Amino acid sequence: MANAGLVVADIQSVEDDFCLDVEVTSNRPDCLGVIGIAREVAAVVGAGVQFPETNYTSTDIEVSKLISIAVEEPILCPHYTARVVRHITVKPSPEWMQKRLKCIGLRPVNNIVDITNYVMMETGQPLHAFDLDKLSDQKIIVRRAKSGEEIVAINGARRALFHDMLVIADGKRPVAIAGIMGGKDTEVSESTRHILLECAQFEPRQVRRTSKATGIASDSSYRFERAVDPEGVELASKRAVKLIKDFAEGEVAHGVIDIRSGKYEKKRITLRIERLNKVLGLEIKRTIASDILKRLQFNILNEVETGFKPVSTFIDVEVPSYRGDVYREIDLIEEIARIYGYNNIPTKTSISVRGSVKSKYEIVEDAVRQFLIGIGFYEAKTFSIVDTSPLQSVNLWSDRVGIDIANPLRQEESRLRTCLLPSLIRAKIYNMNHGVEQVRIFEIAKVYLAGEKLPEEKTCLSILADMDYLTLKGIVESLLVSLGITSKCEWVTFAGSILFKADKSTKIQLGNNILGYMGEAKELEFKTSSCMVELDLDLLVKMSNFAKYFQTLSQFPPVLRDLAIIVDEGVAWASIEKCIAAANISFMTAINFFDIYRGKQIPSGKKSIAFNLCFQSSDRTLKSEEVDVAQQMILDSLYKTLGAELRKQCKIL
Amino acid sequence: MLEKLEEAKRNIQREINSITALKDAEQLKIKYLGRKGIIQDFMKLIPSLPAEQRAAIGQRINSLKTEVTNIVEELLNKFSVEATSKAGHEIFDITLPGKMHSISKSITLKWDIKPPNSNILHLPGKRHPLTQTIDDIKEVFARLGFDVVYGPEVESEYYNFEALNIPADHPSRTDFDTFYIKNDMLLRSQTSTVQIRVMEKQKPPIRIIAPGRVYRPDTVDARHSFMFHQAEGLLVDEGVSFADLRGVLNQFIKTYFGQDVHVRFRPSFFPFTEPSAEVDISCSLCKGKGCSVCSYSGWVEILGAGMVDPNVFKAVHYDAEKYTGFAFGIGVERITMLKYGINDIRLFYENDIRFLSQF
Repeated sequence: MANAGLVVADIQSVEDDFCLDVEVTSNRPDCLGVIGIAREVAAVVGAGVQFPETNYTSTDIEVSKLISIAVEEPILCPHYTARVVRHITVKPSPEWMQKRLKCIGLRPVNNIVDITNYVMMETGQPLHAFDLDKLSDQKIIVRRAKSGEEIVAINGARRALFHDMLVIADGKRPVAIAGIMGGKDTEVSESTRHILLECAQFEPRQVRRTSKATGIASDSSYRFERAVDPEGVELASKRAVKLIKDFAEGEVAHGVIDIRSGKYEKKRITLRIERLNKVLGLEIKRTIASDILKRLQFNILNEVETGFKPVSTFIDVEVPSYRGDVYREIDLIEEIARIYGYNNIPTKTSISVRGSVKSKYEIVEDAVRQFLIGIGFYEAKTFSIVDTSPLQSVNLWSDRVGIDIANPLRQEESRLRTCLLPSLIRAKIYNMNHGVEQVRIFEIAKVYLAGEKLPEEKTCLSILADMDYLTLKGIVESLLVSLGITSKCEWVTFAGSILFKADKSTKIQLGNNILGYMGEAKELEFKTSSCMVELDLDLLVKMSNFAKYFQTLSQFPPVLRDLAIIVDEGVAWASIEKCIAAANISFMTAINFFDIYRGKQIPSGKKSIAFNLCFQSSDRTLKSEEVDVAQQMILDSLYKTLGAELRKQCKIL
Repeated sequence: MLEKLEEAKRNIQREINSITALKDAEQLKIKYLGRKGIIQDFMKLIPSLPAEQRAAIGQRINSLKTEVTNIVEELLNKFSVEATSKAGHEIFDITLPGKMHSISKSITLKWDIKPPNSNILHLPGKRHPLTQTIDDIKEVFARLGFDVVYGPEVESEYYNFEALNIPADHPSRTDFDTFYIKNDMLLRSQTSTVQIRVMEKQKPPIRIIAPGRVYRPDTVDARHSFMFHQAEGLLVDEGVSFADLRGVLNQFIKTYFGQDVHVRFRPSFFPFTEPSAEVDISCSLCKGKGCSVCSYSGWVEILGAGMVDPNVFKAVHYDAEKYTGFAFGIGVERITMLKYGINDIRLFYENDIRFLSQF
């Protein structure tokens, strides 16, 4: 069965019988009844289907003498039939029927209700029985609800009805929501003597919309939404009447009131054998295809030679009425494939040549991951939908608020996040609570920034680690180098976020763009000292450069000069660096910071900064004197610009 | 308008000179740069100006904005530094170069106290197991010539439904519960959206794999999550058949799960493919004998696939007579759980290092 597309999810043995739980996909409403399943089994095993008994005897009284039916909305109700059974005895249905209904989860009510349910489960066609005595004017009108009307459904739910809903009404009021549920007032009860048996078709979208609007879903609406067999009314109605006659001892009025707009015409489709084989990758002959279609009850129309095309190249078929899902050639191809067996179709093992080149984004994403796990980081994945707490609402990238979900399941997941760091903080806390003290984690994911129309989805790289500010900064700097980003970042004081401690919080500027934000986590202040950074990964991708050019290795020795200068507490290293660079010494190759000192020998409010300068030329050995001159120029400039005084100096040769 | 701008500029200069504390600087920032600030007010006036003036005045406003931003940032810096140094603290210099990692410094020679979870490695770390799976998927398909592409997660109904042959009010929508944002915007409930976006821009031949996050309003339990990952595959060309789909998926499954795994294709239904298939593999736990993981069937479902439905080709203006193609969607969490025997999907998002370090 599974090989033909019907998965039997469960088989339960019930006394001397079995109950199969079959998964039916939404395109196969014809399998929402036992007959449909039997047809499938028959097609798979190549057997026939035996249909249930529908013969009964009726009295001479014409049904049209007893009731009248009007369909005001033929598009929403293309087919309506009513039969009448009088003088019935309402009592429990026979044991065997109750047993079968119970094992598929239906509660037995009485013989009439049980029979309508039983026949629906047999045929897939819903039915409804009204208590005829309770219908005003012995009349049924299929119409739109009028404003102000309401109904209490059989399940007790009271619903206001609106003009866009289709109802079954009697002479006075709605007595059923069409195709969804009958009304409590007219339901069959122990005192019922005569019944009107409705067996009809309703437009699927209409049923679906009304079912959603009223919040009432039933086995009936489930089937109508998916469309029932347009030719299925007759069988179901007769079958139900037969069972009512057998088990409720009624007198069946003669005939039926049958109101139908238009005649159903069977669809005809042409299947080209060549197309069939092309789509499936098969080489099967027409006879195999036509045999499968016959087993599925498709009528083959061109067994004999017609027209110009040789008959072996195509099949004209007529589709059974209950197969609404089959209306194109490709649908026939699927039918053949599933009965032929998907697993009997060959597995091709060659494919034509097509080159695929890694995109720059992929290269950078891989490089970033590789870099970070190489130094001991774990990659985290956290949810994109978060709560609306102040921490989760942090937005470093824009001043608009986050985008809310209109139908959240819970408040905890109701807004698209604007920052990854709060989620990493949560992950850190989770780990702490589970005995993992030290974490180094990162995540690559999107933040969602509200835009004029569509939101901007910015991919970010966020890192959280139990390490000090400068260690994490070193990691960020190394990462940039590893991506070939040589332009220098500016690290600017930033006090605009509750995420970071104010004195250890930076905005990272790369050229004219903001690369990201870094700082010590304020949230975790009292628990541990963690630093974190959120970077614009899209910018990293844009700025990355993996082109490499060989640089001649200098044959000449470098000259290193260690210097220590005393400056005001407020002077930043960046301004020292800037000042040194501004001296523009062509043969100076590096400035290396190594120490900062505050103490006895240093006046209060000042600090001593030690660093070395590296001088090297690629074409000659530098003379001590020219380095001296350069160094003096630098010191002069430091003094002039920053008031820096030389503390000590030592030469390394 | 121009006069007003000039006046605002003069006012700013005057106000700057009177600022003496951090608090004042912050207020100045709100007054001019805030969401309801003076500059924003000017911006709002632009649409009401004569068209020929808009560009010029817009530029003036922008340059004023940059100017004020720079001044305010400078002031904020100055006063925050002053505030700290006045308090007698040493100032942490955020511009100091970062510490460079090197082996000699970071490896300690003394024995650490063994953590309770001693299987946690300190070096190297690990890619997230879902990333590892996505990388495995990319690797297999890249070797077959598939490009890796991404698409937006916030999508319109058109890309998530209509273009994929899932009309409104259609019962097949029941299978795709979706988070909505507003109007016709939603969070994609499947990566199939990327198919449409790629086909709209490119002509065949197409070979793509599109991994990413998807969202469905499912209550979280051991098997469900409101966010999870899928990898969508699409191949469109002349003469592509179901046999090619079988070949390509077989290649992936055997690479990912091992050569001895059995593969079964089973008819199913997806609105955007016809014929549609679900693909099962033999249960790795019981080797096909039947156990609780495979509901005693011996098979576990791992992905959905099929030949691209002609209606989808119609939506992107492809000639469905000339081109055929196949598509498939792999549940990343699902195959990762099966491969490693992970029994609870929530583990992927808790980020417990004891979990992450195992893969």
